[in-house]
Parts: sequence; C-alpha cells; structure tokens
Amino acid sequence: MIDEVLLDVSGVSLTLGDSLVIDDLSFRVIDRVRAGVVTGQVVGLLGPSGVGKTRLLRIIAGLDAPDRGTVRGMNGAELPAGSVGFIFQDYPLLAHRTVLGNLLVAGEIRGLARREASKRAMDLLDTFHLADRAESYPAQLSGGQRQRVSIAQQIMRPRQLLLMDEPFSGLDPVALASVMRLIVTVANLDELNTVLLVTHDIRAAMAVSDTVHMLGRPREDGRSKPGARVIHSYDMVERGLAWHEDIEKMPAFAELEHEIRGRFDEL
Amino acid sequence: MIFSRLQAAILPNRAVDQVTMSILVVGWIAAALGVWIASPFKTLPTPGEIVHALGQLWWERGMAYEIFATVKLIAHATLLTVVISLVLSYATVVAAFRPLVAAASKLRFLGITGLVFPFTLATGGGYPLKVALLTFGMATFFTTSMAQVVLEIPREQFDHMRVLGASEARIVWEVVVRGTVDKALDVLRQNVAMGWAMITMVEGISRAEGGIGAMILNENKHFLLAEVYAILFVILLLGLAMDYGMGILTNILCPYVALGRVKR
Repeated sequence: MIDEVLLDVSGVSLTLGDSLVIDDLSFRVIDRVRAGVVTGQVVGLLGPSGVGKTRLLRIIAGLDAPDRGTVRGMNGAELPAGSVGFIFQDYPLLAHRTVLGNLLVAGEIRGLARREASKRAMDLLDTFHLADRAESYPAQLSGGQRQRVSIAQQIMRPRQLLLMDEPFSGLDPVALASVMRLIVTVANLDELNTVLLVTHDIRAAMAVSDTVHMLGRPREDGRSKPGARVIHSYDMVERGLAWHEDIEKMPAFAELEHEIRGRFDEL
Repeated sequence: MIFSRLQAAILPNRAVDQVTMSILVVGWIAAALGVWIASPFKTLPTPGEIVHALGQLWWERGMAYEIFATVKLIAHATLLTVVISLVLSYATVVAAFRPLVAAASKLRFLGITGLVFPFTLATGGGYPLKVALLTFGMATFFTTSMAQVVLEIPREQFDHMRVLGASEARIVWEVVVRGTVDKALDVLRQNVAMGWAMITMVEGISRAEGGIGAMILNENKHFLLAEVYAILFVILLLGLAMDYGMGILTNILCPYVALGRVKR
C-alpha cells in the first residue's frame, strides 16, 4: 500500500533582504492509518524563536511565496490562500462582530445559506463550549476563548490542513491540557485532516503529535549556517509514543524528550 | 472614604468612580466661576451681563434663526466631508490612488482665506461658497486622519480574512470599511469640532445668509462684549451637545468599543 501524501513541502527557500531565512526545507505529511479508527494527523514543527517557523507557516498557507521550492497538498494540488486554515498566534477576530458573527462571516465566505451557516456555527460553538458566548464580542473573551473561537471560525469552512502558530504559548497547565485535547479532537474529525503546529514547547509538541520535525540552522565548524532546515524528524508512531493515554508518563517519552532537548540546546 | 477619593483624584494613574468624577467636574466649574467673578478685568463681562445679553439676542435679535442657519451649514458641510473623505481614505487600499489622497491631505496646509476667490468662481458665492469652504477645511483634515487609520490596520487582519478564503472586495468591506467605523466616528467627532472653530471665518466671508458666526462678527465690530461672550457660550453648548450626541451614536453603532476601553 502506498502512503497517501497529504502535504508535500519540497525545497522551500526564503530570503528576506540579505538574510536567508529558510534554506531548501523539505518534509512530507502522510496519512497515518489506524484500523477501525478515524485518525487525523498532528505534526509538530519544533524550533527556537526566530528560526523562521511562522514564515514557513505563511508560505504553506499561501500568504507568502517562497523564492524557491513548492508546497503541494493532496494529489499534488497547489494550496492558494484560503485553501488552508491558519490559526495565528494572536488569534485575530473581527472586533466589530460577535462570536457568532465571526463564525457566520466564515460561513458566508464558504457560500453557505444564512440558516445553514447559523446551524453549523451553533453546532461548533456547542462543540467548543462557547454557546453561552455567542453574542459576546471578541473584546469580552479570555485568551483561551479567543483561541477556541479562532479554531471554530477556521473549521466553519472545512479544510483538511489546519496550521497553528504557537498554540501553547502563554498557557497555564490546565489550559495547555485543554488545548492539546482540542487539537487532537480537531485532527480526528476526519481521516485526512492534518493539524500542523509550530511551537518551541518540546513536551507539548511531543505529547500531541504523531510526527515531530525539528527546525534549525545546520552547524558547520561550530557556527550555524544561515537558513532553517528540518534538522531531525521523529516518528512518534514508530516509537510507540502516539495515540495512547498518558504518553507523558512513559519512560521512552522522557528519554526522547531529553534527547530532543539536548539537540534543541545545540541549535 | 473622602480621603481615599481625594487621594485617587490627585495621584497619577488611578481610576476614580462616577461620583468622584462628578465632584471634580463641579469643583472645577465652581473654581472657574470664582475666578471669573473675582476677575479684575473691566472688559470681561460678568455672568449676569452675559445672561442678560443672551436673553436679548434670543428674544429680540432672532438668535434661534441664526443658530438654525449655522447648524444647517455645518450639517451640510459635514455630510459632504464624510462622503468625500471616506471615499478618498478607503481608496488608499488601491496603490494607484495613494498619491492623489496624499496630495489631498497636504492641502490642509492651505489657508481658507486665500481660497475664497477660486471657490467663489467655482460656486458663485453665497451659501454654496460657505459650504464649499467649510467642506474643504474639514475634509482635508478628515482625509489625513482617516487615511492614517486605514494605513495602520495590522496586516494580520487582512491575512486573517485571506485564510478564511475571502475575496479582496470582501476584505475591504469587512476590515477596512466596517472594521474602522468606530474610528471614522471618532475622527468625525474631532472634525465637527473643527467645523465649529472655522464657522466664524466662513460665515464672515458672506454675512448675507446670517448664522451665528456672522452674528458674533457683527457684535464684535461694535465691541458688544457681553453679546460676543453670550454667543460664544451658545457655540460651546451646541458643540458639547453635538459631541455628546456623537459619543452616544458611537456607543449605539459600535458597542464593542467601550468593551475594549481600559479604565484607569
């Protein structure tokens, strides 16, 4: 059986001014199949601050064009802006619209009739425990609520690839666990769904992902070369560190975390 | 209780409740009145003289009609200003129009007085001339402020709509037009105040149609200071009423603005 490629990032390079930000970066996301269980993909892109993670997400989302390389989705299809969901780090929402209004805009853009859009929006607000906030404005929401509204807004228009920029940033342990559950829930809504998240939170990325790629600048003669690449990749499924409850309590998880942290520190 | 209120009122970066703020306002008004009454300047009319002059202007000199003429002029010019300035400001999303808008904005450095002649030729004088001059004066400032508001919309807002799959026209409507309504109202509020400040000069150019600005110039010519201050007082009250009304309008049309406001 041939693995189905859901996302193919191939030889992507980006230069800003005189600075090479991303250099010949490649990775693929394939459909991870579990017999009898709908399992979407969660891929973590780990990297230190300033390595170009957000730039890479913008290229995958079709917001910026790379200088070289390609980004393709299923069946080699190109991914123009709008074909990929993107949760920005600051969770931007339309400040002049209510929570429900923000979701309805996404529904209208998708071409849904008003009644259908309302029904879907209310279903999503129920799913994300936001039904009581439907008539609130974004200024009335907490950070966690804004994040959930942003995710719900992106899901109003079903797309199989959802990008998340630093979803674990600034969360307390309870909120972190909740967001991790949410990511898995969203990914598992469809077999072909992929959540691609960038973060520098090693433990959270490992706990939630089936594949972890580490981004960094390769070192040569003790000095890092310009341009981020995928330095290491970890198949969490192969290592038996995905799709289980309490993964974080497994000794293998701690060992791998120690290994990744060591490599992270070298970057 | 009183001590803590007083402390909050005089220390920096402290929030005060509504009652304390009301006490402060009444206190400042009383202080201003005290200074006024105790003023040694003989040329400054007393509050009693101004109230008397106001009664005369209202009952004997047709002040109500003059106010109506001025409010009508300002409303007319404001309407034109809003249409012209918003169209120009929103047009800055198209690169081709940016030099035009930048040029229109720079016209604010020109004094209105020097423009009377070309504007008279263009409008034929009278009421249309006054509307044109007032519109010009307000629109150049409105366009400058509003174009800056559009320019400062974070790129993330546009990208957010793009990843939702919105067309560029929908993005302009949602982010640029609807997303800045509160700021447009705020800019308008400042510009209406500017219109009131310009009204004496504009109405002085053609006094035939009257207006409160023309009235103040006539009283000033005869050095009737009590009447002049009475008219100024009425202008102040009208301006404050309009400002308050626009604040209420902003709260009704954009209730989300007050939610994001931090009290300190």
